[in-house]
Amino acid sequence: MPEITFVESLRMTLKEEMERDPSLMLIGEDIGRYGSIFGVTKGLLEEFGPHRIRSTPISESAIIGSALGAAMTGTRTIAEIMYVDFTTCAMDQIVNQVAKMRYMSGGKAKIPLVIRTQGGGGRGNAAQHSQSLEALFLHIPGLKIVMPSTPYDARGLLKTAIRDDNPVMFIEHKLLYATKGSVPDGEYLIPFGQSDIKRKGKDVTIAAISYMVMKALKAAQRLAGEGIEAEVIDLRSLVPLDLDSILQSVRKTNRVVIVHEGCRRNGIGAEISSLIQEEAFDFLDAPVERVGSLNVPIPYAEPLEKAVIPDEEDIVTAVKKVLYRT
Amino acid sequence: MSIPLDENLCLKLYERMLTIRMFEEKAIELFEHNLIRGNVHPCIGQEAVSAGVCATLRRDDYMLNTHRGHGNCIAKGADLKRMMAELLGKETGYCRGKGGSMHIADFEGGNLGANGIVGGGIPIAVGAGISVQNRGTDQVVVCFFGDGATNQGTFHESLNLAALWKLPVVFICENNQYGLSTPVREAVSIFRISDRAIAYGIPGVSLDGNDVIEVYTKTVEAVERARAGEGPALLDCVTYRFFGHFTGDPGRGINYRSKEEMNQWLDRCPVKQFKEQLFREKIVTEETGKAIEAKVRASIEEAVRFAKESPFPSPEETTQDLFLLK
Amino acid sequence: MATTVIMPKLGLTMTEGTIEKWLKQEGDRVEKGEPLVEIITEKINFQYESPASGILRKILHHEGETVPVTTPIAIIAEEGETMAEIEMARPEVPVEVSLPVAVQTQSKEPSERILASPIARKMAQEKGIDLSSIKGSGPTGRIIKMDVLKVAEKGVAPPLRKSSEKLIPLKGIRRIIAKRMTESFQNVPHFYLSLEIDMTSCLALHDQLREEVEKRTNLRLTLTDILVKVAASALKDQPIINSRIEGDQIHLIEEINIGVAIALEDGLIVPVVHDADQKSLTEIASTLRGLTQKAKEGKLSLQEVGGGTFTLSNMGMLGIDKFNPIINPPECSILGVGRTVEKPVFHGGEIKVRPMAWFNLSSDHRIVDGATAAQFLNRIKKTVENPPLLLL
Repeated sequence: MPEITFVESLRMTLKEEMERDPSLMLIGEDIGRYGSIFGVTKGLLEEFGPHRIRSTPISESAIIGSALGAAMTGTRTIAEIMYVDFTTCAMDQIVNQVAKMRYMSGGKAKIPLVIRTQGGGGRGNAAQHSQSLEALFLHIPGLKIVMPSTPYDARGLLKTAIRDDNPVMFIEHKLLYATKGSVPDGEYLIPFGQSDIKRKGKDVTIAAISYMVMKALKAAQRLAGEGIEAEVIDLRSLVPLDLDSILQSVRKTNRVVIVHEGCRRNGIGAEISSLIQEEAFDFLDAPVERVGSLNVPIPYAEPLEKAVIPDEEDIVTAVKKVLYRT
Repeated sequence: MSIPLDENLCLKLYERMLTIRMFEEKAIELFEHNLIRGNVHPCIGQEAVSAGVCATLRRDDYMLNTHRGHGNCIAKGADLKRMMAELLGKETGYCRGKGGSMHIADFEGGNLGANGIVGGGIPIAVGAGISVQNRGTDQVVVCFFGDGATNQGTFHESLNLAALWKLPVVFICENNQYGLSTPVREAVSIFRISDRAIAYGIPGVSLDGNDVIEVYTKTVEAVERARAGEGPALLDCVTYRFFGHFTGDPGRGINYRSKEEMNQWLDRCPVKQFKEQLFREKIVTEETGKAIEAKVRASIEEAVRFAKESPFPSPEETTQDLFLLK
Repeated sequence: MATTVIMPKLGLTMTEGTIEKWLKQEGDRVEKGEPLVEIITEKINFQYESPASGILRKILHHEGETVPVTTPIAIIAEEGETMAEIEMARPEVPVEVSLPVAVQTQSKEPSERILASPIARKMAQEKGIDLSSIKGSGPTGRIIKMDVLKVAEKGVAPPLRKSSEKLIPLKGIRRIIAKRMTESFQNVPHFYLSLEIDMTSCLALHDQLREEVEKRTNLRLTLTDILVKVAASALKDQPIINSRIEGDQIHLIEEINIGVAIALEDGLIVPVVHDADQKSLTEIASTLRGLTQKAKEGKLSLQEVGGGTFTLSNMGMLGIDKFNPIINPPECSILGVGRTVEKPVFHGGEIKVRPMAWFNLSSDHRIVDGATAAQFLNRIKKTVENPPLLLL
């Protein structure tokens, strides 16, 4: 099986889907000649033309709003917001328009829209270009949210997102773009609401998302050296959430650590830990532990940035805490 | 002074304007009787803009609308019964009772929905224009908004994008000269709103929004231009609202407007003016005039009856229509 | 067609309005759109225009009146039209959904909370291990899964316990006593009165009657038998003591059933002498001897230990001087009697050596106050010091 990068996986998928659906349109900043900030749309303008690869001025509200308008009127659309931090410039369109249009119209509007964006820190991009904002969108009914962590998952989830007739936030991570993974040639779709156990274990459940899955796997390796077998679950899909898999794992291990890059305070871990204690209270040997960034903007200087964003060490510490091995 | 319009068109325009007037008066009455929740934003005084613009459109042309949008909905051909039912929050309403006054949408009739966010619909209109352009049809998108919206970021982003891509969108400013209590003089940085078109390189024209014939003839030009693929235009229709901003506006908007100003505009009531014109031109007689009034009144009464007799949506409805389930 | 004018809703939050001034009077002609009435709300002073043309036939609410929104306030009709009830759509008043009041459950706080993780609790329960027998190794002494597993594996108490310690489970009679005494001690507001009583006459009576009783019944007569009769007579005089609390009522009981506390090896038992006030001293003695024997053999029936209205506890033979007995629920009082001791006391102006005993009455303050209980105790004192009173 060939190994390709996350970017290549996305590009390949976009190309295939655009060939499959002649109305599918991409809209975003610098997605034409430039090929988009991380190269995901390279070559697509030449192949599909300027009506289907629409590179826009810097106008996030207009990008999302027009993507919505196009989707509502029969044009399946993928809107790209260069950095998830900029979704805030289009918040009204995302929160009040995209998320609510179908419901407000009593189910009349059909919105085949994907909003592709990327977030995360670790490269010194500083406070306004390094955030993880999925927790904001988790709070808004009407938006599906998926965050793939591997090239394999990216392809399968993107196909599902594009073919879904509902608004989907497809949030990538800048540090994942260069990562490689095996991706089979044939067509496959990964359904939403299905997490993936990336590593089986019996001593503790680590539920992670996006780039944190990579760190969790590394932490699990280290823990194995100390005789602790961690089960790492890649959530993949936040809305809908695969709670059952998490609960099944917790019933087995009795301990769970949730890892996300968003701030710890009110991050997605807060919602998931609440659900776990509601549904699997009797199976917990320790309170649910959450690992997230410190509640500060992401700082610029490397040592500070490292201290703010969770790393392997933080995950190992959290695991040991729920095992009472501190 | 003879009317440069077809007699049938004139009658249609008159009937439309009368329907809008009576519908709004009835809505206010229902609000006073506590049958309508939330607020109603009557467009009494602005009937000529609604009727004049929408008479230029085909059923398959798209329309985006504002919170003060009952008139535009009616002029675009909405069923009064379903509109009234939506106002009363009934299941038989256009949005199954889930949208309410500010979100009425009639997708089959090209009405992509009214918006509760000032300027919220403008980017969506641009998106609809993209769909038309990509499909290569000769549909047109009409986007209504108020004078206040021309100061929103979305207005500028959208006009820029529409102009850039020569989209078939006609931007109609229903300039009733007040954003709630703020007069245009204190909100818009230039004298004439239509001059904003210059900034985007598109034609802009200010016109008498209370003269339904002028509204119609000027809009036809812009719409045909757009239909021919020559791009967007901005129409600034200067008009006045006779009621307050909404049904909660104390003193019906007299607090911030002078009685003299109100009386001046009442003298130029669009419905009254047009009726007088039609009488002069003998297009309408005492008899036929009364007949039209009776017909309109009957249709409104029927709509109210239908709405009152319709059931509320059932509790199960709360969680439906969020996502499209395949 | 007649039109009903209603108090209009003029704003989202308006719920009522006051009629400030009628601008038209009954009988006046009014045109649609003409100012009809001045209305005052919280926020504004408003001139409401007439919704119809016609004659103002009737004003239903007058100046100064405040009415809720949509209340009819006037009727406009043409000359000659009937004023029959105009059916108006009743406004849809949004139904106030009453939210269920969160029930505050008073959780009985056990004196010692055992901290254990949910899974530890579940496992301990499944394995039949008593959590209180496990020492937790988690933070703040939390019992965690590992602790339970260790106990389950070893099958004995964790090594932290000294092997010489013995654990006695609370079972059977001990468990019942523990429960009832806790209940009584926690829920009943006890107060205690004590009197030292001169036992001379009572002891003399005992001496006098002892032989006769033995001759007749072949049974011993004890001091306790006499005290039962004394208590019964006092209860007859003060029925409030012969009662129990039921909910928020005091139930005065007709029968006087006196329970006598008997100490057995595994615990206290209180067989009851039913209708003690109607029994002679001999009958009381006979009943009590019988009950005591049965108690020792563990053969007391439910009837024989039930229905008590007062309890007598004689700790004298155990060498106790004074004690505050715990009320036997649901009774009102309990009388504890200490041992008789020869003491120098003032008697008739001189110091004499007299046999004295402490009588201790514990009572339920919900039912009786100090004065009533004092009266009762004094009554007992009087009778004990002058037994012939029993004949009255």
